[in-house]
Amino acid sequence: MPNVQKGRRERILVVDDSEMNRSILADMLSEKFDVTEAEDGEAALEILSQQAHVFSLVLLDIVMPRKDGFEVLTEMNRMGLIEELPVIMVSAETASAQTERAYELGATDFIKRPFDASIVYRRVLNTIFLYAKQRKLMSVIEQQIDEKEQNSSMMVDILSHIVEFRNGESGLHILHVRTITDFLLRKLIKKTNSYSIAEADVPVISLASALHDIGKIGIDDKILNKPGRLTDEEFAEMKSHSVIGANMLQSLSAHKDKPLVRYAYEICRWHHERWDGRGYPDGLRGDSIPISAQIVALADVYDALTSERVYKPAFSAEKAKDMILNGECGAFNPLLLDCFAEEFDNIRAIFTGSLSENITRREVRNLASAAIDPKSVTASERTLKLLDYERMKYNFYAQLTEEIQFEYDVESDLLRLNPIGAAKLGVESEIVSPASDAMLQKQLGDKWFSSLGEVLNKTSPETPEYRRECQLAINGEMRWYSVIMRVIWTEEADPTIASVIGKIVDVNSTHVAMNRLKEKSIRDPLTGLLNREGVKEELEHKFDNFPQRKYAVATFDIDRFKSANDEYGHLFGDKVLQELSERLLHGTRVHDLCARIGGDEFLIVFDYDAEYDIASIVARVYKALCGKVDDFDLTVSMGVAEMTCCSQKFSELYKKADIALYVSKNNGKHTYTFYNDSMGDSVPQ
Amino acid sequence: MTLQQCYEALGGDYNDVIGRLKSERLVQKFVLKFPDDGSYKLLLQSLEEGNAQEAFRAAHTIKGMCQNLAFTALGQSAAALTECLRGGSLDGCKQYLPQVQADYERTVTSIAEYSRTL
Repeated sequence: MPNVQKGRRERILVVDDSEMNRSILADMLSEKFDVTEAEDGEAALEILSQQAHVFSLVLLDIVMPRKDGFEVLTEMNRMGLIEELPVIMVSAETASAQTERAYELGATDFIKRPFDASIVYRRVLNTIFLYAKQRKLMSVIEQQIDEKEQNSSMMVDILSHIVEFRNGESGLHILHVRTITDFLLRKLIKKTNSYSIAEADVPVISLASALHDIGKIGIDDKILNKPGRLTDEEFAEMKSHSVIGANMLQSLSAHKDKPLVRYAYEICRWHHERWDGRGYPDGLRGDSIPISAQIVALADVYDALTSERVYKPAFSAEKAKDMILNGECGAFNPLLLDCFAEEFDNIRAIFTGSLSENITRREVRNLASAAIDPKSVTASERTLKLLDYERMKYNFYAQLTEEIQFEYDVESDLLRLNPIGAAKLGVESEIVSPASDAMLQKQLGDKWFSSLGEVLNKTSPETPEYRRECQLAINGEMRWYSVIMRVIWTEEADPTIASVIGKIVDVNSTHVAMNRLKEKSIRDPLTGLLNREGVKEELEHKFDNFPQRKYAVATFDIDRFKSANDEYGHLFGDKVLQELSERLLHGTRVHDLCARIGGDEFLIVFDYDAEYDIASIVARVYKALCGKVDDFDLTVSMGVAEMTCCSQKFSELYKKADIALYVSKNNGKHTYTFYNDSMGDSVPQ
Repeated sequence: MTLQQCYEALGGDYNDVIGRLKSERLVQKFVLKFPDDGSYKLLLQSLEEGNAQEAFRAAHTIKGMCQNLAFTALGQSAAALTECLRGGSLDGCKQYLPQVQADYERTVTSIAEYSRTL
């Protein structure tokens, strides 16, 4: 996940004519941000014109030589920078006329001189964070519009291609007409506002232009694809395609009033009308022909001239242009002819390069920025307030549980912690470039960020959650925590991690209690040794995890234990059991398991390397167990069974050891015996 | 001489500047830099040449620096001069100059003294 690990630092442009003021600001910010300085407005604009994209924020003074702060703002508006690059004004000028003017020119915020380090830092951070969020929102909307546009555009393409293929034309005609229409429309809007067409209508009309010949679907194949000249009757039928197409659209009752259908109707019906009134079907003249149809008519004629047809070769672009401008082919609105002449170079380029891609991108961009118009900021302010409210509510509940909550945003490389979390970690609640933050490294270890990256890499858009209980050393104390994280992925085709939210809950006390309970259930209360269940579980765990090691099970009981109880009392009996347990723990090695599985019945699991001799181990342990306790001469009888093949179960080993124990007892007690196959597989009654 | 004593000598507010800039090291750095700033020279020169606009900017810069460093005395006299020059005319502004000059001299002298004891 290179995105999270790169830990990019934001860069800030500080514009102030006083070197000292620049230097104070730079000092305040340089720990967390990269700073570029400009000594006046002109220097700032020079830097911005070359590399505006590297900056996340501008701190701008007002009174400066050469160009002042207002001039910089004005110029940033002209360059289209002001919407993407936040500007915070830094000034002692607090007259309301001055601040009002700066806000009107698009400044985001004001910082008053004299500077307060923490306020400067906080304002800068908040602004950068806000803009990062907005950029993300922007790209989401762009993407959605893009998808929607692509779908409807695709439907129109399919429809118009059906007509084209039937017509025996290449699929390019539609694309060319559409692109030429787009160029001419934009030019026309720039030239005049006498047609009631707005920038936003351009993509709709271009799309509608693709349907101009849709009526040809109702024309007989034989006429449509006739190689020679059409007869008068055939030509009359051919001409009917404009009305047929228009009627088809008009019968779409549900969508009749949609702009796309309305424009398509105009275009279908009237794209064969002429400015001089000699066209068909209605013989309209001049501007009584809708402008959409006028434009598509010109585009249609130009593309027809420059394409090869069954009845004519392709003319060169220049020749086609001359024919149109001289009125040799069709009759057009003079204003439109001017547009055509001026846009000719761009139109000609369509045939050499792929311009349509760019047009679609531009449309989408325009729609998206219309959707996030800065004027609509009231709505987003409300949203932000609601978000704040939600955050406050959540913080309140979090306070009750004392959990650490965090959110990390990859683009702004900013980590936010809830106040409790920040206090627990002893860090700020907002941390820029957390990967390189010294306090966090101290608290969580040098490698915390890269190991977090590894963990996050294992999530995916389908399984974005991560939950785990683990031990963490927060504040130098090792405790159990439950870590829950949710990764938010971008919605691109190749998704990357956009942000991570999560919480860390201290579960140490529950964990410890659980462990204690578990311990309790597997231990014998008198001696502290494992009980029968415990040893079985532990041994099976060993079998599963360390199958390459060798194991042997020994069971033993105390000789004459009943008489010791009778003679010295039960308390003494307990003392013997405890003493024996001590000797057992001392006599065995750390990996061996020791258990009391019944009254005076014990069990040992020897865990040893293959090169060791089990007989000598058993001999040593056996010797350690025997010896006087007060006046009682403590001896034991023992049976040992070695594991001969890895598939053996605990219960089988235990049974065989028990058989060998019985043999020891039969041989007069105070001894140990190894099991062998001659002893059979059941304890004699 | 401590930095705080230096502030007392030049008529500044030590507690204010430390409260805002947090670090004594930073404050010291900027205080020592103050005499090198060219704005004062520019102010005198612009007044000499009768360039009201340039004089306004220079006075304004001095005022800004003083605010940041909490040099209260010089900040106040510079502010008065700045407001007079804001209109773009030198008329009547010369009367504010002697106070600015006196405060400036006091400020740089105190800084020089402080700097010698470092």
